[in-house]
Amino acid sequence: MSLSGTLTATGETRPRASAKPVGDRVLHALTFASAVLVLIVLGGVFISLIQGSWLALSTFGPSFLSSETWNPASDPPVFGAAAPIYGTLLTSVIALLIAVPIGLGISIFLTELCPAWLARPIAIAIELLAGIPSIIYGIWGLFVLAPILQRSFQPAVIWLFHNKYWDVPGLDKLFAGPPYGIGVFTAALILAIMILPFISSVTRDVFETVPPVLKEAAFGLGCTTWEVIRRVVIPHTRAGVIGAVMLALGRALGETMAVTFVIGNAHKIAASILAPGTTISATIANEFTEATGDLYTSSLIALGLILFIVTFIVLAAARWMLHRMERQGR
Amino acid sequence: MAGTALALRRRARSKVMMGLSIASAVLGLVILAIILGTLLYKGVAGLNGAVFTEMTPPPGSQGGLLNAIFGSVVMTAIGIVIGAPISILAGTYLAEYGRYRRLAHVVRFINDILLSAPSIVIGLFIYELLVTTMGHFSGIAGALALSILVIPIVVRTTEDMLRLVPDTLREAAASVGTQRWRMIVSIAYRAARTGITTGVLLAVARISGETAPLLFTALNNQFWSTDLNAPLASLPVIIFQFALSPYEDWQQLAWTGALLITLSVLTLSIFARMLTAKKAK
Amino acid sequence: MNAESPAEAARNTGQKEKISIRNLSFYYDQTKALKDINLPLYERAVTAFIGPSGCGKSTLLRILNRIYELYPKQRAEGEVLMDGENILTSKESADSLRSRVGMVFQKPTPFPMSIYENISFGIKLYERLGKAELDERVESALRRAALWEEVKDKLNTSGQGLSGGQQQRLCIARTVAVRPEVILFDEPCSALDPISTAKIEELIDELKSDYTIAIVTHNMQQAARCTNYAAFMFLGELIEFDTTEKLFTSPSQPKTQEYITGRFG
Repeated sequence: MSLSGTLTATGETRPRASAKPVGDRVLHALTFASAVLVLIVLGGVFISLIQGSWLALSTFGPSFLSSETWNPASDPPVFGAAAPIYGTLLTSVIALLIAVPIGLGISIFLTELCPAWLARPIAIAIELLAGIPSIIYGIWGLFVLAPILQRSFQPAVIWLFHNKYWDVPGLDKLFAGPPYGIGVFTAALILAIMILPFISSVTRDVFETVPPVLKEAAFGLGCTTWEVIRRVVIPHTRAGVIGAVMLALGRALGETMAVTFVIGNAHKIAASILAPGTTISATIANEFTEATGDLYTSSLIALGLILFIVTFIVLAAARWMLHRMERQGR
Repeated sequence: MAGTALALRRRARSKVMMGLSIASAVLGLVILAIILGTLLYKGVAGLNGAVFTEMTPPPGSQGGLLNAIFGSVVMTAIGIVIGAPISILAGTYLAEYGRYRRLAHVVRFINDILLSAPSIVIGLFIYELLVTTMGHFSGIAGALALSILVIPIVVRTTEDMLRLVPDTLREAAASVGTQRWRMIVSIAYRAARTGITTGVLLAVARISGETAPLLFTALNNQFWSTDLNAPLASLPVIIFQFALSPYEDWQQLAWTGALLITLSVLTLSIFARMLTAKKAK
Repeated sequence: MNAESPAEAARNTGQKEKISIRNLSFYYDQTKALKDINLPLYERAVTAFIGPSGCGKSTLLRILNRIYELYPKQRAEGEVLMDGENILTSKESADSLRSRVGMVFQKPTPFPMSIYENISFGIKLYERLGKAELDERVESALRRAALWEEVKDKLNTSGQGLSGGQQQRLCIARTVAVRPEVILFDEPCSALDPISTAKIEELIDELKSDYTIAIVTHNMQQAARCTNYAAFMFLGELIEFDTTEKLFTSPSQPKTQEYITGRFG
């Protein structure tokens, strides 16, 4: 048998092709370069943020994180990230508190209660909520939700904890007036609506990975539907549910437009969640184009850096959780 | 055992919880209906031919959204033209060449992070990269920011869709001597064609509604402009500006613009979904 | 159908019919999967449902605890009398029925909890017990399932960490802990190795002294080893029902004969 070619069935020798044809090498190179580009983009974001925020960070040091002062007008201007950081965290946490139970409720409904023909259109409808651009939520929040809250809900809540008959200590500070309509709570409410479809669709996917025979075993013991969900489905999918919640948190932290419209843009940390505040992304969105002076711009970019790092950590944790869930499900 | 207090209590609890979950679903649908309803109601009020033929007006006078629509369409198109090919290639790498390699794991991880990363941060990145170096805001900077947003979406869907193509198909191609690159281009891409297109459509839907990354890259422009090297108007930024203003006619245009964006985004999403559904049949 | 010898056999040992299946038909949407089944399940005996794939034996089993009700478009017509009452039409809720009719599935299904909790979970659904009593019940269930010695030192570890055979015995323990009257086994050993299979068959043989048992099996030797009565089914119909010994040594129906001798399967 000749070593320079392959012997075919009919006895001829077919010349062997070169080790790697040109087309293969080209495509491999192109795809490889594109994949690496993704890494470069992330690296680039990080580096440029650090570069841009260097001035502010070196000027203010660690007190940047704890100082509430945000004074572009003073000479020299003083900036502190405490209010935006606080607002970002607070709005996201409240949004989660509202959205997680409702989102879980929706996915439980879709997986356990809803007849199949109805489940698909409802699931699609809920996902349409996810497709609505955030600026739409912003203007809806400002023009529709805020006035309603201002006229009815907020006065009611304020009265509930502080009126001429009684005064609930602690809670009356948490829900103190005046009822602006806009503020931290309104922003959290809008965020909750925005992350609702994420929680619902990811947990639904996760619930559907539970092997039917496991649920049947629980039903077979005589469990009610709620007991099956609570004691079998959710423990089985725990990592996935936590991953979904963290994913939603990651989204909420970075959300800009919806929050900017209704948060009230006050660089203050107030005791009441009905008061106006600000978030990192809202601050950047509102002030960046008006920012005069390098220190101002740099402080805003520093805010962006903080946000980026926090969301990075949250999203990485979410991904890890979801992947653990996937692997465990084998 | 049938009627014991314990059994009744368990059953009651289950009914209550199931009732709550039905209520959640109803709540979600009601909220969707209210938002879309308000949008329709307020947006249609200002919908007329002028919206599509005239420029954004100074406050107090009539006008339209033409320059904003144009800017949005152009920047979205450029964003996709730049972002989609790179993403499809990267997704191909993840699915075909580097399936189990270390690099692929890292790229996938980073890609997932970028998928949900705050878009305003991307805007800051392009600001630092382009706007400061160029010395001015520009439409091309805005388009570039959008293209970065496209990447994680299309990379993910491309990889997922290519992975769905069964290996038996690839083996069949290899067994007749097809070269790797040809197998990918002629067989894998063809099989995954619908899915990849859907991914691109979803990316278009996503970026056409984005505001934050455009705020300090493309900035805004009250007048008609086709100059990509200068600030360029876009629907989302115009809506931002007009909605927060105290002028009623500006606010009306903001609602109409919001309606236009939402309709196009939803239409694209539904269309993309129909595509995959048809393929699945 | 040959009901005389089993009825005689039953009367001779003083067994009565725990479950009487009368004119039972079952539909998956429009498809009739079970056609007019008439079958007794005798108390404290093991009845095997055998037949080729798709003959309806699992379908039949799953009617007995109404687990099919979890799925839409599946319905049963006819009568399934347990202690004289038709479980298909009675007002009794499904979960209450399932406390009396337990089921062990083909694939071992330990819940995502500790071994102890897997067992106590079922008990706590129906009874309020103090810790000492609960411990006792858990231990006796595990002993009944021949698992106690192997797990008594690790009751707090996850049920999902056991081997396949142990997991299946855990599921059996879980089922008997609830003190049912009937236990249904749906091909319980098909996912297990031969040694675990032998252990479980031994278990089934012991359990029959206290429970009425129905077992779906693909394995004829298994049916021969541990069952008293056998029902041979084919394409949704009951072809023959008799004592296991008679059915396997001198079946009266030709189809039964063909299946037993391996002509098809």
